[in-house]
Order: sequence, then structure tokens, then C-alpha cells
Amino acid sequence: MANAWKIARKSNAQLPLVIVVALAVVLVLLGKAQSGLFDQARVKMTDWLAPGLEVVRAPIQGFDRWMGSITDIFSVYEENLRLKEENARLRQWRNVAIVMQNRVDRYQSLLHAVPDPKLNAVLARVIGRASRPFVQTLILDAGTRNHAGPGEAVVDARGMIGRIYLSGSRTSWVILLTDPNSRIPVTVAASVGNGGTVQAIMSGDNSPRPTLDLMSHTAMLHAGDQVVSSGDGGLLPYGLPIGTVVPGSGGSWRVALLADAASTQDVEILNYFQAPEKPPAAAELPAEAAGLKPLVPPSPETLATPGPAAGAPTTPPAPVHAAAAIPRPGAPAADAPASRQQAPSAPPDGGTE
Amino acid sequence: MALERVAGHGTALRIVSAAVPFLCGLVFSFFANIPVSLTSGQVPPPLLALVPVYFWCLVRPDLMTPAVTFAIGLAEDVLSGGPPGVWTLAFVLTYVLVARQRDSFASLSGLAAVLGFASAAAICCAVAWCTVAFLALLTQGAHLPPIGPMVSELVITVIFYAPTALLMGWLHRRLVGPLRSDI
Repeated sequence: MANAWKIARKSNAQLPLVIVVALAVVLVLLGKAQSGLFDQARVKMTDWLAPGLEVVRAPIQGFDRWMGSITDIFSVYEENLRLKEENARLRQWRNVAIVMQNRVDRYQSLLHAVPDPKLNAVLARVIGRASRPFVQTLILDAGTRNHAGPGEAVVDARGMIGRIYLSGSRTSWVILLTDPNSRIPVTVAASVGNGGTVQAIMSGDNSPRPTLDLMSHTAMLHAGDQVVSSGDGGLLPYGLPIGTVVPGSGGSWRVALLADAASTQDVEILNYFQAPEKPPAAAELPAEAAGLKPLVPPSPETLATPGPAAGAPTTPPAPVHAAAAIPRPGAPAADAPASRQQAPSAPPDGGTE
Repeated sequence: MALERVAGHGTALRIVSAAVPFLCGLVFSFFANIPVSLTSGQVPPPLLALVPVYFWCLVRPDLMTPAVTFAIGLAEDVLSGGPPGVWTLAFVLTYVLVARQRDSFASLSGLAAVLGFASAAAICCAVAWCTVAFLALLTQGAHLPPIGPMVSELVITVIFYAPTALLMGWLHRRLVGPLRSDI
């Protein structure tokens, strides 16, 4: 016992250091090539931990609230005044939104517009948070048995939080928008000028405000511009509210997120998948439909068989697919509430009561 | 007969005691990576698994071998959710550097011992950051990882070193130390 702290001099390492270091380097490179190397182990662990996490969630949430109340108690009066003012302003916006919604409904009925594709949503609860230097994630209590799968968007009442990147049977891991590995295409709707839109890539860098990389170097942004998901790539629906543009350092632009992943408790997982858009058939092209000469010469088989009279389409026009009715990134912002109608917990900005 | 039973019991205890550093690394890694935060994710969890690596690398390198360090780093990688292999490489390289300077680190006491661990943890965090930065360079359009969260993790780890080292000192005296015979 007296010599318990005596330092050992004999080291019988089973593997030489060089081999272990080489193995570690190989593991890093292998992990780069096969990014899902540990994924199964991770989701199995969280599936196994899920009951325990749900048990400890309530006291930790209570502790969080208690800690927050200590600081909030000193600013209750000012906070109350601010909320009253904000509530009055939001009621005005609610009236505007109702008027706009009625107008959009009327236009849609006049144009016989095809409604946006429906978004199925799964309600989930946050049972874990991990904020490490290289990963920021939430763990939800919904998995594949709740029809939640990788790639699906996760939103709370205020806006988008992130995407699912791992799904176990009972739990899912969410990669936050602030995570360094998060990159999603967004549309920036100008708040001033002629109301144009700008396409950009929003990248997380572990700071609370992700960066914006503009697709066009000549595009102009302004502080306060609205950022929504662009829907490019077909993985995320168009129009999910994300945040507003704020100036960053060195002339860059960042996004102040609407959602607060640090405090949110209940979220929705949007089950959305849009098939890649297929090019229209030749008979559906405007030139063909107008009876103009096609640019591509017809095949010999077509020439050999006598066809119908010019101008008459050989096949009836195909019905418009629901996916084709998704508003394009350049569409006016008034289309957004129609797509949000499918997500009950994501009301229009002016609809807060 | 009784002597044989005692001898067998002693062998089992010796095996258990030899596994204590490894089990400590696994348990600390598990607890540090439980996805529960009392600070709503504002403060990163400490790198608790590094403490047994550092501690037993100095005190009992015959038990904290490079292979054990590799396994603890692997557990940290699996449990932390980060890029695979980053913490494994960081732990192993830190082990190499600490093992090379064992006499210097082991002679420290009090606040100097904490500073000694802080330097080892800084090396570990720097290796991890450089590895992730290297991986980011291989990815088109990726940004370099920010340094701020890594510094926060380093500070939290150093803060947690003293109580964790006390716990391991107790475990060492109770389980590992008395059963040494090959020093």
C-alpha cells in the first residue's frame, strides 16, 4: 500500500506503438471513405438508452427551466411589455395573413391550381442533446418504426432545426443546421427592392448562425431577408422557414435561425420525398403542341408509319403530376403558407395567437 | 487445496485489476457521451476518457498499453458521434507523447500536475482538430472546424481532471495498486 503510487517501469505493450498509430490513421481514412462506419453501433446504443433518456428527460427539463427562471425573474416586467407589444403587432399580421390567404385561395381556384404535395409529419420528442466540437445533434424518440428516416426535415413551431441522419428502430439522430457537416440549399427572399430571390447554400460551422454561400457573385443581400429551404435536390420541401439574413464578419452573410435547438422539446419530422423531375415527353413540349416543326428530326420508324394530322397530338397530354406544382424558388412568397398548411405546428408568421 | 483456491482467487483478482484502467476508460467515455446536457448544449461535455489514459500511462503503463488506449479512443469515437477515428488517433498520439515524457509528467504534483494534464489534453485536442481540418480539406466546399468549441472542451476537461483523478487514485489504491507484482 505504501508503494501504491510507485511508477511502473516495465511496460509490456501488446502492440508496438507504430502499429497502433498506423491503425488509427487507417481508421480515420476508412471513416472518411465509409462515413457510416459506426452508425449502426450509435443507433443501437441510443435505442438501448432511449427508456433511460426518457426517464431523465423530465428532471433535466425541470432543472433547465429552473435555471432559466433565475435569470428571467429579473426581467419579467420588461419581457411582459415586449411580449404585449409583439402580440399586438402579430395580431395585425394575422389579419394581413388571413386576407392574403383568401386571395391566394381565390387565385388558386381561378387557375385550377394543383395543390402542393402533402407532407406527412411525425411528432417526436427531444430526449437527448449532444454538443461536441465536431458534431451538434439532437436525439428524438421516433425511429423507423414511427416511419422516420434519414434525410427528413425536422422542424419545430418556429422553423427548421435540421435533418435526420441516423435512424434506429426507436430513436433518430438529427444533424442540426449549425453542425459543421450541415449544408442545405436555401432561397433568400429579398425584403427590399423588387422582391427577387437568391439561391444559396447554408453551411453550419458550429456557431449559432450558419454561413451563406451565394450561388451568384452578383446577388445582393440585405439584413432581414427571409431564408427558406429551396427544395433543390428533392430532399427537402420548398418554403420551410429557416431564418433571416444578418451581416457577418468580413462582408459575409449569416443566418439568424428562427428555431432554437437548445430549448426546443417537441418537434415534427416531415416525411417528404420528391422524385427527380423527368423531362416532359416530346408531345408535351410547347413547340409540338403548337404544331411547329420539331428541332430533332424524327426517327426512321416514325417516318415510315403515317401519323395523324399535323398539330394533333399523338397522345393526350399527361395529367400534371403533383410534384410539378411545387412552387419554384422564384415564386412569390405568398405561396409559402399553402405549403405550410400541411404542417400544423408551423403556422404562418402572422398566425401566432 | 486451500492454497490453490486462494491462488486461483488471486489470479482472478489480478485479471480484474488489470482490466480496471480499460474499464474506467470505457465507463468514463460512456458517461461523458450520454446525450443529456444540464446546460442545453451550451457547454460541451469533458473528455473524461482521456483522464484514465493519462493517469495510468504515467502510473501503470503495463496496464494502459497502446492497444488499450486505441480501444478507449475507439469507444469515444463510437459514442461521441463525430467523424470516425478522430479521437482514436488523438488518444494514441497523446499516449505516445506522454509515454515519451513520463518522468517529466510523473514528477509533477499539485497545480503543476493539473497543468501537466492540461498540456496533454491540449495536444489531444490539437490532434483532433487538425485531423478534422485535414478531413475538411479533402471535402469540397467544407469549412475548417471552428476552434472555439474545441477550446471549450479543453477547458471543461481540465476542470474535471482534479475530481476524476482523485477517483482514479482511489481506484488505483484499492484495486490496482496492491495487486501489482511485476514492477
